[in-house]
Amino acid sequence: MHAGKEPVSSFFARLAEAGHVPTFERNSATLRFDVSGDDGNGHPRERWYVTVTDGDVTVSHKNGPADAVVRIGRRHLGALVTGRLNATAAYLRGLLTCEGSMAAVIMFQRCLPGPPGSTGRIAPISSAAVTAERRAAG
Amino acid sequence: MSDRLVQILEGNTFVVSDDRGDIEARADEPTGLFSFDTRFLSTWVLTVNGERLTALSTDDLQYFQTRFFLVPGTGSVYVNATMTVIRQREVADGFHEQVRVLNHSAEPADATIRIDAASDFADLFEVKDALRKRGTYARDVTGGGLVLRYRRDSYVRETWICSSAPAAIDERGLEFTVTIPPHGEWTTELDVLATEAGQHSLAGGRLAHADMARGLEKWLDKAPHLRCEWEPLEQIYRRCLTDLAALRFSTLTMPGRSLPAAGLPWFMTIFGRDSIFTSLQALPFVPELAATTLRALAERQGTRTDDFRDEDPGRILHEMRYGELTAFEERPHSPYYGTADATPLFVVLLDEYERWTGDTKLVRDLEPAARAALAWIDQYADLQGNGYVSYQRRNPETGLENQCWKDSWDSISYSRGDLPGFPRATCELQGYAYDAKVRAARLARLVWRDESAARQLEKEAASLKRRFNKDFWVADGEYFAVALDADGSQVDSLTSNIGHLLWSGIVEVSKARAVARHLTGLRLYSGWGVRTLADGEARYNPIGYHTGAVWPFDNSIIAWGLRRYGFKQEAAAVAAGILEAAEVFAGRLPEAFGGYPRSLTRYPVQYPTACSPQAWSTGAPLLLLRTALGLEPHDDHLLIDPALPKRIGHLELLDVPGRWKRIDAFGRGLIDTDRFTER
Repeated sequence: MHAGKEPVSSFFARLAEAGHVPTFERNSATLRFDVSGDDGNGHPRERWYVTVTDGDVTVSHKNGPADAVVRIGRRHLGALVTGRLNATAAYLRGLLTCEGSMAAVIMFQRCLPGPPGSTGRIAPISSAAVTAERRAAG
Repeated sequence: MSDRLVQILEGNTFVVSDDRGDIEARADEPTGLFSFDTRFLSTWVLTVNGERLTALSTDDLQYFQTRFFLVPGTGSVYVNATMTVIRQREVADGFHEQVRVLNHSAEPADATIRIDAASDFADLFEVKDALRKRGTYARDVTGGGLVLRYRRDSYVRETWICSSAPAAIDERGLEFTVTIPPHGEWTTELDVLATEAGQHSLAGGRLAHADMARGLEKWLDKAPHLRCEWEPLEQIYRRCLTDLAALRFSTLTMPGRSLPAAGLPWFMTIFGRDSIFTSLQALPFVPELAATTLRALAERQGTRTDDFRDEDPGRILHEMRYGELTAFEERPHSPYYGTADATPLFVVLLDEYERWTGDTKLVRDLEPAARAALAWIDQYADLQGNGYVSYQRRNPETGLENQCWKDSWDSISYSRGDLPGFPRATCELQGYAYDAKVRAARLARLVWRDESAARQLEKEAASLKRRFNKDFWVADGEYFAVALDADGSQVDSLTSNIGHLLWSGIVEVSKARAVARHLTGLRLYSGWGVRTLADGEARYNPIGYHTGAVWPFDNSIIAWGLRRYGFKQEAAAVAAGILEAAEVFAGRLPEAFGGYPRSLTRYPVQYPTACSPQAWSTGAPLLLLRTALGLEPHDDHLLIDPALPKRIGHLELLDVPGRWKRIDAFGRGLIDTDRFTER
């Protein structure tokens, strides 16, 4: 893993420590992540159980029923929690599967980070540059 | 040749075929069975005894159902045909097709009936741009049918085809060798299912077709009933409601509820801006669309910084897609956030929705989302640090250059024709931001019980209005500049955007008269509607998409704005022009039509576009009805203040839903709009 020693454990540890996610407020749900080997196949090797109560979050390894059960390989989960893989893209590619409430999964993805290297900044472009580019494009 | 295209749909599954029901799509051709932005069938051809068929007639029974009457043979050969073929097709998660072959002769008929099927599994984006596929294809003949499969790594999409009548199935299709008795018929039911990797369909449960038809009747019945002396208006109204039903789209998180998708068929997905505007237009008629739109957009509100998707915390999405290019992050639509207006408009819709419905629960549920949207306006949208909302894409390859509703490359220009740099702060964005603050202040006071936030928002709104009326005002022309450029200088062309400013209420009363005069003046008003760009500007072109064409949606917002400032005659003129255009288009307004003077073409000239109906064009007559009747919620009452064009005559809108339960609105056309529309 090049993005930190234990990205999955440290992500859930940070989530548990924070205990509250503002973008989860007004939402309550439980999610269970069944994490299998790197390839995403086989029996789950570890579980993460997340409860959300109006934004308040607890994390455990409980194996209980949940509103949403997400099945994913450890490598892909590592990529998700470090912003190197987009959750919706992963779902569309079949890298993760969901059982139960899609709404809970959509809520959960709000706490995932953006891609490493995204700064939110971009240099302004002058009117002359826009005009020149359009002229070049014909 | 069969050139006419037939399209039917349900949700975001749709079929585009020729008028025989056949599909023969080339890679860059937009025909086929599509679901979740992916083509699941690119070939679907019916032959009888090796011959193609000829269409006698095609009945569009419902938006999700078509019947094709066909005879074997092409050209003049079919004249003596003794067989008729009837295909009836209904869209669900894929489609269901009944094929009936009728033998009209007194002798038994031997026939070989064949369906050829294939799929290229193209992403909609690939169809538009003719891109090449990276995955591999497979075909399986299984016990009951034929499976077409596409695989790229873990991404798998499959088309399942099966038949009720026994068939010889090979990798290219299904074949039936039958003998049809004299004056008898042969029938089979074909099912085509679009799926993910042998799982159940992406869309969830399959809808019963009878339920769909009943659903449409119920939908029409639930909406207010309209009676009008000018009969075309009744037809326009019914067309709008039916098209709005066809444009309903359910998200995976709220399967039982629907929101308006942007357009049929290529934009059957959530678009922040289009879904919000259409929900606003339809509020007095089908308020539940707004509730679903607000919830769906809040679920997907931005929470992080993602340059590829132009995502920021609090930003409302622009467009959501489900195809292969999105799945592999080759396109940013998972979702893409590159729009500067959806975020303030989200707050505007939330307030307007509460004013109509009194649904304070939704306002409470979405308080965090609304506050995050307001924070986006101040913290992330002010790219120039001058207190104005502006935009510039951070994804130069596949992001959007113009992140306002006029999103084509040349839509924002100086009067002399050159293009401004980036960031750009277009004027209507400031209006939306102002309105969002004013409306949020009301919600903060009324529902969130936060007086200090309400005062702060009102203070910010007042300051924004003051600065805006100074910085954007083109004094010698007496109108508002379309934008401020990267240097904070005015982009000085005269555009329809000034009408949106009236709607938002950001225009100082002393300047409103001049703005209204421009909107109905010779340079902007064509006689059918307000042009996107004024005649006389360097880039003006009557068939320029955002540089001169007339957009019905734009005009409906403009009429609303004119009414807000008390310009009843001008608002009635805009309504009259657009509704008369709608009559010419048999009730279905196109996305845009030519900005030629009305006297020059006599009929509005449709702008060539593949998308019809378009959601916010469908919503335009609805909003024009609202503005013409002067419907305005006030506490628990509905105020009615008609200012109708004369031609409309007597108008009744019965059972308008809202916090008052149901109210009837009546009006009589008294305003002579000829002096505007006769030009």
